[in-house]
Amino acid sequence: MLQRSLLTILVLLPVVGAIAAVAYGMAAHRGEPAAKWIALGFSTATFALSLMLLTGGGYADSAAFRFEQNVPWIGAIGARYHVGVDGISLWLVILTTLLVPISIVSSWHAVEKRPLAFYAFILLLESAMIGVFVSLDLLVFYLFFEASLVPMFFLIGVWGGERRIYAAAKFFIFTAVGSLLMLVGIIALYYIHLRQAGFGTFDYTTLLASLRSSQMVLGSDAQFWLFLAFAIAFAIKVPLFPFHTWLPDAHTEAPTAGSVILAGVLLKMGTYGLMRFNLALFPDASRYFAWVMITLAVVGIIYGALVAMVQPDVKRLVAYSSVSHMGFVVLGLFSFTEQGMQGSLYQMLNHGVSTGALFLLVGMIYERRHTRLISEFGGLAKPMPWFATLFVFASLSSVGLPILNGFIGEFLIMLGMWTSPALSQTWARVATMLAATGVIWAAVYMLWMLQRVLFGRVKNEKNKRLTDLNWREMGLLLPLLALMIYMGVYPRPFLNRSRAAVELVRSRVVATEGGGVIAER
Amino acid sequence: MNLCLAMQTAQAVSPDINFALIMPELLVSVAGVLVMLVDAFTRRSNQRWVTGLLSLVGLGAAAAVCVLMWDDQTTAREAFNGMIVLDRMRLSFTLVFLVVSALTVLISMIWVEWEHLPAGEFHSLLLFATVGMMFMASGGDLVIIFLGLELLSIATYVMAGFRRTDLRSNESSMKYFILGAFSSAFLLYGIALVYGGTSLLNGGAGTTNIKELALRVGAENALAYPALLYAGAALMLVGFGFKIATAPFHVWTPDVYEGAPTPVTAFMAAGPKASGFAAFMRVFLFGFPFIAATTNAAQLHSAWLNALWLLAILTMSVGNLAALVQNNVKRMLAYSSIAHAGYALVGFVAAGQARDETLQSDAIAAVAFYLLAYAVMNLGAFAVVTLIARSGDRRTEIEDYNGIGFTAPALSFALTLFLLSLLGIPLTAGFMGKVMVFRAALDQGFVGLVVIGVLNTAISVYYYLRLIVVMFFRERSTAWSAPAVPVSVALAIIITVLGVFYLGIFPGQVLDAFRSAQPVVSQLK
Repeated sequence: MLQRSLLTILVLLPVVGAIAAVAYGMAAHRGEPAAKWIALGFSTATFALSLMLLTGGGYADSAAFRFEQNVPWIGAIGARYHVGVDGISLWLVILTTLLVPISIVSSWHAVEKRPLAFYAFILLLESAMIGVFVSLDLLVFYLFFEASLVPMFFLIGVWGGERRIYAAAKFFIFTAVGSLLMLVGIIALYYIHLRQAGFGTFDYTTLLASLRSSQMVLGSDAQFWLFLAFAIAFAIKVPLFPFHTWLPDAHTEAPTAGSVILAGVLLKMGTYGLMRFNLALFPDASRYFAWVMITLAVVGIIYGALVAMVQPDVKRLVAYSSVSHMGFVVLGLFSFTEQGMQGSLYQMLNHGVSTGALFLLVGMIYERRHTRLISEFGGLAKPMPWFATLFVFASLSSVGLPILNGFIGEFLIMLGMWTSPALSQTWARVATMLAATGVIWAAVYMLWMLQRVLFGRVKNEKNKRLTDLNWREMGLLLPLLALMIYMGVYPRPFLNRSRAAVELVRSRVVATEGGGVIAER
Repeated sequence: MNLCLAMQTAQAVSPDINFALIMPELLVSVAGVLVMLVDAFTRRSNQRWVTGLLSLVGLGAAAAVCVLMWDDQTTAREAFNGMIVLDRMRLSFTLVFLVVSALTVLISMIWVEWEHLPAGEFHSLLLFATVGMMFMASGGDLVIIFLGLELLSIATYVMAGFRRTDLRSNESSMKYFILGAFSSAFLLYGIALVYGGTSLLNGGAGTTNIKELALRVGAENALAYPALLYAGAALMLVGFGFKIATAPFHVWTPDVYEGAPTPVTAFMAAGPKASGFAAFMRVFLFGFPFIAATTNAAQLHSAWLNALWLLAILTMSVGNLAALVQNNVKRMLAYSSIAHAGYALVGFVAAGQARDETLQSDAIAAVAFYLLAYAVMNLGAFAVVTLIARSGDRRTEIEDYNGIGFTAPALSFALTLFLLSLLGIPLTAGFMGKVMVFRAALDQGFVGLVVIGVLNTAISVYYYLRLIVVMFFRERSTAWSAPAVPVSVALAIIITVLGVFYLGIFPGQVLDAFRSAQPVVSQLK
């Protein structure tokens, strides 16, 4: 019973929490402070339940989906409610359920305006995000993918910074518009399957099975357009250069909890989608477009890093560093090698943990000083030693220092890219080397920022009497720091569980009759 | 020859009267007459409750009969010599009309009180308009469709001008009347030409029966194919185009919708539009079908289908682009209603192209579903707009919504839901509606049309979002207190909110009921 409906419970539990919070808040009239307790309770319960996914067992051995539930949803159009997890989505679900309670606690005192609605939206968002990662029916996937926009839109728009309206509208319009064409692609897939296999379906596993057994053959033209329809939606979400312009605004203006979730989870929907759908369903087009995606990824890595370097605002700097880091993830995906793709998935998790921690830290200093300008700070290490320690820690993890998590991901990605069959040998190496400069740039902008913010003399009077982190704030960061070390030292449990699923996707891309992938180009 | 003979004998027999087949229409008519009677004997203070309740009972009874007919109905039937038809298509649309009218009764309750209007008159007019709509869906003959249309239109002209002392309302009514009369003339002229055209086809008397029309149009022995038929079809296309407000025949819509009292606007945007679609689809899909064997019929078919394809693109684009620059909520929703007619036309085009009976009925069901979804979300939105506008429709500018979000959270979040549904965000009725019509169109290979539809949806993000942004993200500078929500409107909002979620999450049941529509058509090859 639980085996079958665990994922559904995970999706619905936050919704129930949101309803409970609103109902309680409205009934008690002064129950708004209770909202955070209800939200925390439900999100923690969701996290605890999501850990049960690990007990599914055998992720290392087979790429099959577990905890599947597959029931008819709209009979008239053959849409089914089909959910399940494999080694890829498993970790993303747990990342989501981990970051949500953390972001709730981070808002404990920061959100005084309409707390009830705030926590209700966070819970609704959690539900949509989990839904995205577990749905195996394309229509259901699209549904959650789009539904996640609305709560985020409100989070930025109501609780955001000064330019919140601009940022919220830009975020919504960019991402909503981008995914509309994907809907056309999804419906088109339905009909292609109907014509070729005799029945229409939105079901991912069925589509994949039909493709593998050649019951359904997507011609190169069809793949070309379908790939584009899906890839544009995901590239905007990732965001891949040149679709990234919504990100700095949204990240900067969002409240801390919003930034954490945005960077930690929402961006992964894009890379997850690329991996799950683009690579597996349209392998020929993926190979055809690989050089485009790799180029954009490399440009994003370098451009994001360079722009981050000159940001006067800490939060904007972290936001641009996301563009750079997500470039690595896309690079790994389109390397079509096991190391690259595994590294890519690993880097998604790393980025969620490290950037999440960085945004939390930026939020903490903002709560104290109500500014994020680097020039306002300096010498913070003196009044706030704990803050400084943890900030350095999280930054180094983001830079990719060995024994911290970021290193493993970026190293695997570059290793994979070096031997990538997606490009000719020379170009693969050129791409790798260019991407490697991104790591150096990352060290430059992060360390330079740290130097200006934390070290030196305390120049600004206001900074002298800043209080160090309290227990709540330490408690928030410690699990993330522990993860950074753990993931940096012992990646096996993660990589082992995802290997089979990643390998399945990879085998779709590289295996074609006619052999050579490179020969294609 | 055989055909002609058969037709002449059919005319000679006495009409096959079958009251069971027009039971819903009869019930609503009787309710309308009763409302008028009861109204005269009720004290003024109770009037709106008594007549309102009576109207709801009438509409409910009609809906119940509809549902019974649904279960009972396995094959398409006819009565009154083909004047009235009974098929799933008719029942689906009838149900949409009944929902629209019932919600309008609920929404208008507060307005009737504010304005001290004669409730009985309003409710009976509404019921008669509903009867008109129902006959437009059930008519198997151009004459019945025209009668239904006129019944509907005349009642609506009066309703639009119901606030007699308000100049805007008068203007709205006048414009609606003049343009409505104009478009009726187009339609009637078209019907006359078609009648003439069919008589020329085989030398006998002409016909206005849709089934007969298809037989004549598709007859292989047609000597010459008269241009009259083309002209007639074109005029009818324009006439219907006016009624459902397709671009370029939409110009009257914003003025009329803005000036009319808000509950009437809500009704006009949802009800008459749906009935226009019902009649439009029946006449063109079944009156001028595609017949492979007859080149002439195929040509006529492709002519109207191409025109419709163009209309769909124009309507979507004009509606959405114009809505972008509106500063009045009612005007914005008026343009959005034009855009939505365009999306529904996409489904209509798909139904026109479909060669397979099942696919065609799927497409028709998609359009009916779309219009039901549109009716629910649009009426919900207008219910909130009515409340916020207060008496005299004073506050309908977008500025009036500044920062009201958390002052009136229930109303604002309900309106947000309706706007997101109009925009087509998943989990709402609007999304499912769009999926259904786009799906039908993609199935028929109209990729370009669907892509244009999707791009239009992208445009519409801006103006729907704008209202949400204004409500929640801006601060209010002037004093504003949330309007009291009367029971009837609260009920309407709750029903529509639940409806939006129900149609958005579990559309299967309604779709299945709307599908497998075996329409009354001529057996053609």
